Amino acid sequence: MTHLTIDQLLALREPGSEPGQAEARAHLDACPACSAELDRLHQRVARLRALPTLRPAHDMWAVVDARRRADRRARQLRRASVVTLGLAASLGAVALVRPLVAPSVRNDGGVTEAAIAEAREQSASLEQMLHAYDPDARMVSGRTAGVAQVLEDRIAQVDQRLQTVDLAPAQPARNQERLDLWRQRVGLLDALVDVHVTRASSVGF
Amino acid sequence: MEPFSVADAVLADARAGDAAALEAVFRAFEVPVYNLARRICRTTEDAEDVVQETFFEVCRSIGRYRGDGSLWGWVRTIASSKALMKLRRNKYRDTDELHEHAAPARREDTALRMDLEAALERLSETSRAVVWLHDVEGYTHDEIAGMMGRTPSFSKSQLARAHARLRRWLGEEVPAA
Repeated sequence: MTHLTIDQLLALREPGSEPGQAEARAHLDACPACSAELDRLHQRVARLRALPTLRPAHDMWAVVDARRRADRRARQLRRASVVTLGLAASLGAVALVRPLVAPSVRNDGGVTEAAIAEAREQSASLEQMLHAYDPDARMVSGRTAGVAQVLEDRIAQVDQRLQTVDLAPAQPARNQERLDLWRQRVGLLDALVDVHVTRASSVGF
Repeated sequence: MEPFSVADAVLADARAGDAAALEAVFRAFEVPVYNLARRICRTTEDAEDVVQETFFEVCRSIGRYRGDGSLWGWVRTIASSKALMKLRRNKYRDTDELHEHAAPARREDTALRMDLEAALERLSETSRAVVWLHDVEGYTHDEIAGMMGRTPSFSKSQLARAHARLRRWLGEEVPAA
């Protein structure tokens, strides 16, 4: 007599009917060995379900929460960046038009639009790097998330100040402040890239 | 009745992004999620990573949970996917053969039989995941195949191989009549 295989016994547990199941059931009714084997299968599954519940050794909410907050701030930062970049684009357009109506684009203290443009370009490049790295999709330790969160908060503050400065009437005296803020933004973004990318490469991602 | 759940009011607050409510969701499901992850993953560290990933995803996406199925079912599917993703990412070597050779020969002496916990641990990552998801969590082969990116036949054959091994390692084989 050919006994049922494990595949056939397992198939008997599945809902619905598959080809050959009727024959397998008929065999089962007539074969004590296969019937016992199916019982053992049921018992094994029952024992699997009765295995003790494994519990985490420590609380993980703090890590999850830090990451959740960092994610929320990053989203806010992205929204703020869109506004800032929009403003920057508008101001760029103004800068292009201004020579036609006001030939003097030089400002006080030797601060040039070029230096601001350069800082803005560095800022955009670092944002692209961060975007490509996609820190939101990666797992971070609570400590890393905490540092990233502080940096993102500070970037958001700089962005708010930049918006205020950029919306103010064009004044040469404001250029130094704009340049300082853009450079500050570059420094903070640079640190944020370090936090994410350096950590990632140190653990071999 | 669902084994794990949260009150509707807590769920509504969690969907609105309330931190205390999100923590309540975490507290309600952290143990079953960890248990599932630990049964599938090889190490506690990997299981903890899966818990972290799962609840980060839950916090991010709970606003999109429509309540079609149970909240535990939704969380469990995220956890299962994250655990399977972890297996793929780690690229564990499939050590079936090694395990099989290392397993002690079956004897009549019951003292030499492995206990179920050890036998489960000895299965390959994939086989163990399929056994756990199918036999304990109650997923169908179609659902497991979907999560693993494989076919239902693959899931069925993994389950059959796993049970054949468990039966042997647990000393449950009986001589053919």
